[in-house]
Amino acid sequence: MAEARDESIKKLFDAKSAKVDTNKGEEYFSDLYESCKVRIGELKDMPIAGRGVDLRKALEDDGFERRDFLKWASATTAMLMLPASFTPLVAEAAEVMNRIPVVWIELSDCAGNSEALLRSDGPKIDEIVLDIISLEFHETLQAAAGHQAEKQLEEALELFKGKYILFVEGAIPLGIDGNFGTIGAKAETFKDHLLRLADGAAAVIAVGACATYGGIPAAAPNPTDAVGVMDLVKGKPIINIPACPANPANMVGVVLHYALTGSVPELDSLLRPKFAFGYRIHDNCERRAHFDAGEYVEEWGDEGAKNNFCLYKMGCKGPMTFNNCSIIRYNEAVNWPIGVGRGCIGCSEPDFWDKYAYERPMANAHIKAPTGGVEKTVDEFGLGLLTAAGIGIGIHAAASAIAGKKNSDEKDV
Amino acid sequence: MKTDYKKIERMTPAMRIIHWANAICMIAAIITGLYIAHPYYQSFIADGAVDKYVMAWNRWAHFISAIIFDVTSIVVAYLYFFSRFEKPYKKLIPNAKNVKEFGEVILNLLTLNRRKRFDSTHSDSFNTVYFTIFHLLLFFMLFTGLQLYVHGLESGESSIGTWWPALLHISTDWTIPVTGGTLMDVRIAHHITMWLIVVWMVFHIYYQIWRTIFWEEGDIAIVIGGSKFVKDGK
Repeated sequence: MAEARDESIKKLFDAKSAKVDTNKGEEYFSDLYESCKVRIGELKDMPIAGRGVDLRKALEDDGFERRDFLKWASATTAMLMLPASFTPLVAEAAEVMNRIPVVWIELSDCAGNSEALLRSDGPKIDEIVLDIISLEFHETLQAAAGHQAEKQLEEALELFKGKYILFVEGAIPLGIDGNFGTIGAKAETFKDHLLRLADGAAAVIAVGACATYGGIPAAAPNPTDAVGVMDLVKGKPIINIPACPANPANMVGVVLHYALTGSVPELDSLLRPKFAFGYRIHDNCERRAHFDAGEYVEEWGDEGAKNNFCLYKMGCKGPMTFNNCSIIRYNEAVNWPIGVGRGCIGCSEPDFWDKYAYERPMANAHIKAPTGGVEKTVDEFGLGLLTAAGIGIGIHAAASAIAGKKNSDEKDV
Repeated sequence: MKTDYKKIERMTPAMRIIHWANAICMIAAIITGLYIAHPYYQSFIADGAVDKYVMAWNRWAHFISAIIFDVTSIVVAYLYFFSRFEKPYKKLIPNAKNVKEFGEVILNLLTLNRRKRFDSTHSDSFNTVYFTIFHLLLFFMLFTGLQLYVHGLESGESSIGTWWPALLHISTDWTIPVTGGTLMDVRIAHHITMWLIVVWMVFHIYYQIWRTIFWEEGDIAIVIGGSKFVKDGK
């Protein structure tokens, strides 16, 4: 009991907000550089794991020049918040990423994060780099099915025990003993499946809002009691890459960081890598100037919308959302939600479906009464309180006026 | 027949200055805060952006009024305990005397001044509790507001050094789990508390006017002149 209380007190004062230390000093970075060099040397000596592919060949096949790759490497170095001198190391780390075995499982999800990797107009370097990792198991992508797929998974778990990185996509339903979601011929519940696979993993990476916080399956009223990976898996390093879908650049960043340093990147208290989720969308938004100027889109397709005005009044949640999509965007910086003229729905924040994605300003957000019954907007609730107070005062004032003043000479009638 | 009145000091000049600073800051914070929550007027689309800067000015006014508010509320919290004039915390202790007085003041209000069995020469315990509620709401606004503010200082740097965002994180990060777990909950809680403060203010103004009319002791003058008058011999 006392332990649980200590834990909850600790949680209360735990920094849930991000705070990014971008400059850790020359000494720190020169030490890191040396240790990364040693680490990459070790990886180079290792054989390519199971299904890994050679990066140089993969890039060549897709028509990328070495120069494109180095441009990507320097951009990725900046994204990881490392000094520019790390660029050659990052390029080397990308080339030895095929030494790291990866198992990717899908639970309560829509495969949107896998789709984010696949559905670009052509493979981008981020996606190719993810292709070359030794993907030992991925239900959606692999050719094997049924018993063959299970056999493949068992082999991978055995062969790479304690070494593989487990990518989890999707929430875990806990209702009716986890039987809302089962997998395979033995009908193993998602919960047991995840716990068994996490047990032998070097680290667990939760991709997407569902795997991170439960996401849409866990949205009110959460009929299946869905939770995220970090609510279930204990005693393993967990990295959360939320967003709907998670940005492939951030997935690469995390794996790359692991290849480069052998450790997980610095995380905030929601276990999100700070290099990706340390800054607010709002502070790097291309429409920020319109926000400050008070120039807002009032309705879809109006003059403001045509002039790329701020989407705050259309319910954009950029000011409350920490993510790097305003900087790196999607599909190698082609575009991103606000760039296409619709607001941010805060998909990288906990409970985003209930608390962020209503496409109205916060003052018009529906909130639930403590009883859970009536839904009112925040301002309606406030005006209701004010009206109640006004009625009370009105009655008292009217009664006072009718009753009149007590004769000041009478005492305590 | 001439009635003799006795003058009673109720608010020192410092207290009155704080009161009006708070009142002005509160009105400014509400007007600008409503705009920040939902920009309710539009700027002319043809004007250059440099001439408008509407949201930025609103936020500036909101932060300035909030920080003045914060400082005065810290001063008031100090005065609760250490004021040489009057120590309000003594009226907050729920001993028999204070509880009885609290009930009597409410009965006075409900009986439309037909029953007045307490000493109205000093700040009574109902008044003190009511002001304490205000200060608690205000402290909640202070912490949630500064939490929202520190979101913009992600790098840990600020114009006055790294200690400021660090201090804000240490002192306000607890508001996230307390309000519901997300940054949006902090924002909604900040907004709803604004409405609670508006309701508080409406009753406060009504009650002070009502007292002035029914008690006939010039209570409304306290906040301007610092004193009220009670009939001699009381």
